[in-house]
Amino acid sequence: MSHRTCALVLAIAGATAAAGQTATPAQHSANIQAFEKVWTTVRDKHWDPKLGGLDWQAVHDELRPKMEAAKTADEVREILNDMVERLKQTHFGIFPGSVYHDLDAASDDQEKGSVEATPGIDLRVLEGHAIVTDVDDGSPAAAKGVKRGWEVLRIGKTEIPPLVQRIQEQFKDPTLLDLRLSRGVLSYLQGNAGSTVSVEFLDGADRRVSILLDRRRPRGKTMRLGNLPPEPVWSEWRRLQGDVGYARFNIFLDPEGLAKTMQEAIQGCRDCRGFVLDLRGNPGGLGGLAMGVAGWFTDQSGLQLGTMYMRGLTIKFVIFPRTEPFRGPLAVLVDGCSASTSEILAGGLQDIHRARLFGTRTAAAALGSVIERLPNGDGFQYAIANYISQGGKPLEGIGAIPDKEVRATRRQLLEGKDSALDAAVKWIQKQKP
Amino acid sequence: MTIRSNWQAKAPAPPLIGLALAFAGVLAAADLPKAETILDKYVEVTGGKAAYAKIHSHVIAGTMEFPAMGLKGKMTIYAAEPGKQYVEMNFEGVGKMQEGSDGEVAWANSAMQGPRIKEGGEKAESLLRAKFNGELNWRNLYKTVETVALETVDGKQCYKVVATPKSGNPRTLWYDQDSNLMVKVSAVTETPQGDIQSDTSVSDYRKEGDLLVPHKMMIKAGPMEIAMTIDSVQVNPEIPMNTFEMPDEVKALLKKP
Repeated sequence: MSHRTCALVLAIAGATAAAGQTATPAQHSANIQAFEKVWTTVRDKHWDPKLGGLDWQAVHDELRPKMEAAKTADEVREILNDMVERLKQTHFGIFPGSVYHDLDAASDDQEKGSVEATPGIDLRVLEGHAIVTDVDDGSPAAAKGVKRGWEVLRIGKTEIPPLVQRIQEQFKDPTLLDLRLSRGVLSYLQGNAGSTVSVEFLDGADRRVSILLDRRRPRGKTMRLGNLPPEPVWSEWRRLQGDVGYARFNIFLDPEGLAKTMQEAIQGCRDCRGFVLDLRGNPGGLGGLAMGVAGWFTDQSGLQLGTMYMRGLTIKFVIFPRTEPFRGPLAVLVDGCSASTSEILAGGLQDIHRARLFGTRTAAAALGSVIERLPNGDGFQYAIANYISQGGKPLEGIGAIPDKEVRATRRQLLEGKDSALDAAVKWIQKQKP
Repeated sequence: MTIRSNWQAKAPAPPLIGLALAFAGVLAAADLPKAETILDKYVEVTGGKAAYAKIHSHVIAGTMEFPAMGLKGKMTIYAAEPGKQYVEMNFEGVGKMQEGSDGEVAWANSAMQGPRIKEGGEKAESLLRAKFNGELNWRNLYKTVETVALETVDGKQCYKVVATPKSGNPRTLWYDQDSNLMVKVSAVTETPQGDIQSDTSVSDYRKEGDLLVPHKMMIKAGPMEIAMTIDSVQVNPEIPMNTFEMPDEVKALLKKP
């Protein structure tokens, strides 16, 4: 997930070039309209008309004078985020309209908007340290020899350990914490394509090494869905040693591309002993795709992952079995960066006893949401639905809890091990053929 | 989501919600015109029986939009006598979604959720919508129709008619008292994902050949709003018959025990 979606999901709005400039009278008027739009939208569309007992009118009356006095785009977003944060729920946030600018200018350009460039590294914060967990094949980081298990100590002029500590102190609630930590560090690696970033690592021999890394367009094709900013999308599958199928994808978008990958994976692994679906790091996306992906793993009609509750509308997340699904043992890998639709899929498959979960607790951020543009040009993500997994519990604030908790360590990563995947494969091998 | 393909409301399966529509006045049932008269008059004001009878197939193209989400797609509806229908929608980022009926089997297919055969109330609803020239032949579709009130819809005095199909849920239709054009449809649509209650506002009637056809529909279901706009209507076009054939993956489901 790029810095943009990070901002979107986590409501960490990045500053824009114009953020510090004083608003013109027209912008001020648009900001006031945006304030009222956000307030009335929550009032009218939140699934709970009582907003959990929150005095929403009082919130309006308290913040409106502040909005009247706000002079910069940063201040405006701070007030709007303050408003929606009073709900204490995920999937609410304001992000800068600048994320759309490239897209709007691109018109029919094949790229359909740009996404942040990256050196090709993924990472997690493990025991307080930012550790490289993946290096894309063919990426600038791979070309410079960056390895899994290396610790990121500094990016540009930013010392990473203090940054990690600050985020941990700021967000004590474990909900979304892993995602905030990971994306918070990754955002410093991202920038314009063709630019470079200096990164200091602690390598496998515990030596400090500084490497200048190029930034390239991230892996995958760029997809756009409505008001969602452009996102890179990829999916892949392979057959692991021991006749185990394996598939992963970075986000629940591009249903056609994902269906093609899954079709090939299921066909290519029809005789496999089991299958591993890797949702680690997957931040979610189209909610309906949770049902669609689940359909590749059951031939039983009428199964349900859970239920989504909106104001005046209830949607059952029913699984429609694909024509020739995989029926063998299924393991799903999750971690604290598996959010939203990933949690709906993983939690639901676990609840109906179709899959066994390996890894760490998911992000606990699973509400149905939409993204609208505000009168001042900013984006506004808001939840319209609560979601209850088929086991009867909400995923919001709780997450999907692995059947087998497996935490990655720096040492294992340096040794080339993937502890969660290894545990899943081991479990599959023990199942009766 | 399903699509009505009849002339009277080419809109995703309607349904109803008790919206806060102000009652302008409720007449005694005896004072209201008979529903049969209202439905027949609708046929008359939109072109007449003869004009409907001349139509044996149509292709409708338009757009479908979720305004709040900035999501927009293209939609094409192919329909032919007696109950053949094929609907194709294509949204950027979502891909192609298909629905169809051959008068016996109703199905849906998409990359998102895969192929499926419709059953039960959902099937009945889809087959009903696929009946060609349903407006003209409404007596074949509904077992009862009843005018129940005079209400205000968007500032217009309208007759409220409850139509109960031979199979499926009742639907409520509002007809403008002055023009006798239908302005709103409400219904509860059965789907595997639960009953979906929605209101559909119907407007922008324009002449297409010999018939008046609504070109705008706004569907509300819970917090969701969907806008549909018809861009073109072809009357009696040549539609290759394989247009109505089920995709292979749907056929494969039918072969399953």
